[in-house]
Amino acid sequence: MNTKPTMKARERDAIVAALRAGVVPRLGLQHIQVGRQREVASLISDIDRIAGGGSTCRFVIGEFGAGKTFFLFLVRQIALQRKLVVMQADLGPDRRIHATGGQARGLFAELTRGAATRTMPEGNALRSIVETFIQQTEEAASGRPIEEAIKARLADVREMVGGYDFANVVAAYARGYEAGDAGLQDAALRWLRGEYATRTDARAELGVRAIIDDATFYDGLRLHARLARLAGFGGLLVCLDELVNLYKLQSVQARKQNYEQILRILNDSLQGTTEGIGFVLGGTPEFLLDTRRGLYSYEALQSRLAANSFATGGLVDLSGPVIRLQNLSPEELYHLLERVRSVFAGGDSDRHLVPDEALQAFMEHCRSKIGDAYFRTPRSSVRAFADLLAVIEQNPGTADWRELLGSVDVSAETAIDSDGTSMADAGDSDGADDELATFRL
Amino acid sequence: MPETPTEPMTNSPRSVSDRTSSVGAFGLLSEPARRWVERQGWTSLRDVQERAIPAILAGGDVVVSARTAAGKTEAAFLPLLTKVEGDAAGFRIVCVSPLKALINDQANRLEGLAEACGHPLHRWHGDVSASAKRRARENPSGVVLITPESLEAILLRQGVHARPLFAGLQAVVVDELHAFIGTERGIHLQSLLTRVEAIAGRDRIDRIGLSATLGDMALAADCLRPGDGPSVRLVEGRDAGNVVKVQIRGYVRPTRVPEDAIASSRHAPGASPREDGSDPAFEAVVSDLGRILRGRTNLLFAGSRRNVEAYADALTTACGSAGVPNEFFAHHGNLSRAHREEVETRLRDDPRPSTAVATTTLELGIDIGDVAAVAQIGPGSSVSSLRQRLGRSGRRPGTSAELRIFVIEDEDGPAAHPIDRLKLGLIQSMATVDCMLGGWCEPPPAAGLHLSTLVHQTLALIVQTGGISAKAAWAILCGRGPFRSVDRVRYAALLRCMHEARSPLVEQAPGGQLMLGPGGERLASGHDFYAVFVTPEEYRVVHGGQTLGTLPLDRITLPGQTMIFVGRRWRVLEVDADARVILVEPTSAAMPPRFDGSAGPLHDHVVAEMRRILSGGDVPTYLDQTARSMLEGARHAYRELGLEAASVVEVGTGVVLVPWVGTRKLDTLAAALVAMQHKPAARRHFVEVDGCDTVRIRRTLARIAGGDHPSDAALASAVPSPAIAKYDGWLSPDLMRAVVISERLETASLRETASRVLASGTDHEPGDTPHRAGTET
Repeated sequence: MNTKPTMKARERDAIVAALRAGVVPRLGLQHIQVGRQREVASLISDIDRIAGGGSTCRFVIGEFGAGKTFFLFLVRQIALQRKLVVMQADLGPDRRIHATGGQARGLFAELTRGAATRTMPEGNALRSIVETFIQQTEEAASGRPIEEAIKARLADVREMVGGYDFANVVAAYARGYEAGDAGLQDAALRWLRGEYATRTDARAELGVRAIIDDATFYDGLRLHARLARLAGFGGLLVCLDELVNLYKLQSVQARKQNYEQILRILNDSLQGTTEGIGFVLGGTPEFLLDTRRGLYSYEALQSRLAANSFATGGLVDLSGPVIRLQNLSPEELYHLLERVRSVFAGGDSDRHLVPDEALQAFMEHCRSKIGDAYFRTPRSSVRAFADLLAVIEQNPGTADWRELLGSVDVSAETAIDSDGTSMADAGDSDGADDELATFRL
Repeated sequence: MPETPTEPMTNSPRSVSDRTSSVGAFGLLSEPARRWVERQGWTSLRDVQERAIPAILAGGDVVVSARTAAGKTEAAFLPLLTKVEGDAAGFRIVCVSPLKALINDQANRLEGLAEACGHPLHRWHGDVSASAKRRARENPSGVVLITPESLEAILLRQGVHARPLFAGLQAVVVDELHAFIGTERGIHLQSLLTRVEAIAGRDRIDRIGLSATLGDMALAADCLRPGDGPSVRLVEGRDAGNVVKVQIRGYVRPTRVPEDAIASSRHAPGASPREDGSDPAFEAVVSDLGRILRGRTNLLFAGSRRNVEAYADALTTACGSAGVPNEFFAHHGNLSRAHREEVETRLRDDPRPSTAVATTTLELGIDIGDVAAVAQIGPGSSVSSLRQRLGRSGRRPGTSAELRIFVIEDEDGPAAHPIDRLKLGLIQSMATVDCMLGGWCEPPPAAGLHLSTLVHQTLALIVQTGGISAKAAWAILCGRGPFRSVDRVRYAALLRCMHEARSPLVEQAPGGQLMLGPGGERLASGHDFYAVFVTPEEYRVVHGGQTLGTLPLDRITLPGQTMIFVGRRWRVLEVDADARVILVEPTSAAMPPRFDGSAGPLHDHVVAEMRRILSGGDVPTYLDQTARSMLEGARHAYRELGLEAASVVEVGTGVVLVPWVGTRKLDTLAAALVAMQHKPAARRHFVEVDGCDTVRIRRTLARIAGGDHPSDAALASAVPSPAIAKYDGWLSPDLMRAVVISERLETASLRETASRVLASGTDHEPGDTPHRAGTET
């Protein structure tokens, strides 16, 4: 255990805080990553394919708390290391892939705002991408007017759907860049992020006729991918999480239209008609499998996404578009707890807060409390363990893990309530025997 | 014609009084509101405004009641617009109104005031353009005037985005509050207001109700704030409003002749024409209608579809033969939507005089708010419906509300049913008018379950939230909202039944949230999903494979009952709620009492009033000459039949029970008698029991009065349950029985009803000869 490099205090604090809140840390994922090597390997091959100008589309499917988000963040980190631009966002009631009320544009804006590169892993990298592109063009322009040079370099972009205006906007940014016109630059960035709601405004400020709207979500991303490659990046990786929100849409029509867009993305990537763009979509099993409202309700998607019928009984096929996150084995979970302990100790094995036998005892405790489900959904177990360690750390000498273990409460994972408004609290004062609290149809 | 103003003409607009007395309330208003008042040239505020302004400014729920055109709207909006503070985003005042036409009308009245106070005014209903709505939605502010159905549409379509629209809401105004009392639409509105409060994240948003003056204002208070009526402050304006003119006109139809009903069933309205096919009473009514209504814009409520067609056709023909342009247009549920809208548009926007001839059932669907006069054939169904009908006329200051009721009664003849001699149609019309003038109004059934509307609201809430847990849904709809009689166990049963439908309405996500099932998606995507009120489907009456006609069935009809249809007596064999068919066979009998096609349950209070009229002696001035003589005859018959003392009359081979109770109690009694091996038929005001004599029926009634009667559940299952409310069809038999017990029967009253019938007959010894009244010379 002591072979690992000592981690930075900043990383340690970020990881501890994230684990205790039950969310995925943005930093230092490698310190707590265990298992799932084959899944990671297949995603790495995807990333290589994108960097080589290809296209991919993967569905990461797992239960609530199974580590989908963790997995997506891991992939994101790797992609950034390999010089890809990464855009990541969660779907929600007001962020979808297809919509008519601005929700798709909302998702687009969220994605582009969070555009990250290796040097800017926190996001907001769009400006630097565009400027990198302009600087490169400028250097290669050798005296030609910058706008002309840019238009020349974007010649093939102009041929793409919606590319004409896209190229014009990039050229407008260059114009503003040259002239030191911050207003024009901001307007161009706003356009590129899909923040214009009406054509009239875009026309007045940038002189273009079209905007990125609900209907051009995917086309807009393809243009960004192309721009990223022209700017010298490997390509664009788009990570969309919480796709279960599409499953929860209450209108058949809306679900179908979203699935149509997913089909389009999937077809393009399977046929290799797009360049330098990859999608990783995270969702729960019912989002995939439900034949009434999930992806499988859409015939064309079902046939493309159906599991390999030979991959049963422990055999896996990770070359298909769907990656089922396999359960962590008890050994892997033990390993994970070790990692968490190590994080608390800042990587220094002499400062471990609890001995190895405490890890065993903790797992035993979890199993007796919620059964085998605990290692299928690491989130709640890890959170409880982090809480335990935090108490021991802050009460050195007085807190004994043996005594504390009995009072650790681990709850089975449940879906996050989307009706978390004041409405949800209205009836909470009632007893636990309330029939509706555990209502099942 | 002898019209009787029920109020003296005191309607001088904005009567001038000394200015000082008004300084109180006037001084409380904001500067712009005061300037607006002065610009109107008002020299004083009216009484209702004086009282309402301080009450509303103080905050909390308030019901403001006054007569039509007494300035209620300003009484609410002057203080509300004074009160609206700050620049919080979102609508500040939402005003819910039952009719689009009223909204348009109010928008004209309030526009200046709102503008003077610096707040935009938005109209929001089905006829407002999508772009105007979008503008209001994107920049929500000021006042929005809206129908309940459009409010539902906003919540459904905007979902989570509705929160910013309502987050800054300061008050909700409910216009025409009395129109919502005790109706499904009222329950819907209450539920909507709760949902708006929930989405705005507030416990309470002040509600201001504008109501007609009712005898029991607590009803309005309860309707405004279900479950906490006593906290609502009542403000009653004493201004004279517009004059109300009411007249009841009587028409005598000459003696009927029994005829082959099937052959004549395609003929005139609910009528038995004479042998030459003519019906003098009908013709007289048509001629008077034409004379009175022509040249102005009116509404004529004619009852069933068949009646509507017959009257519209006769009036049109009369116009044609007189060589004048046609002004009469039919309006009922079988006509296409386009045609109905054309009629409505003509009444609303066309300067040419026109009269819509409408069914009772589509009453809420006619969006016409301001006509010169209202006419009605027959007594109508309820006091509140009569009040609403009357309220459609005389809305402008200085005009009067006019209502004429045309009642056709049969001439007394040797073959007539003795009960027909009581002229119950006329008496009921008078009772309804008296109740209305006395400010009485039907209270909603206590502890009504309203499961149909709850089904609707559950689906709506799912769409609005995009999925909600059962517990949270219960907390909003039943815990906070109007469905207080539904406990958790029953709500769970309702959800299960919604899930177990052939095409499930709801399903559940793995996390436990309720979501729309395939059936629910279909319902929720329909254009008629926003409304809970519905045109009752008419049932086909079928004998031996031949359809005799259609009948709106909104009352309990039992197999084994006899019913009167197209002038003949039938026995009901089967009621098929799915196919909406009533199978009948002819049954031999003496001349049946006339079937009263008008719909809706009668309340005990109205029936008691009828008895008071029959036993009283005064003659109201609102009756015309014929009606007066009818009333006299009816009172004579009442005494002659001995109904002052007895409640059992032998007729032909059976008996008639007249307990003088409302429809629910009457239906309960009939259901009990069916369960106890009698053959009763519940009519509108009495129960007829075939093949039975006084002694036997008294024995049965004594058993009931002693408590020996079938259980609630047995009564309810003996009753076929027609789907009356919009989503009744989705309820399981168990839940439907619960609805029947709680809303349509009144089992608790059974013993008392039976005792009443027995008690009023105690003058007679058990073996005494009952009143023979089958024939008269």
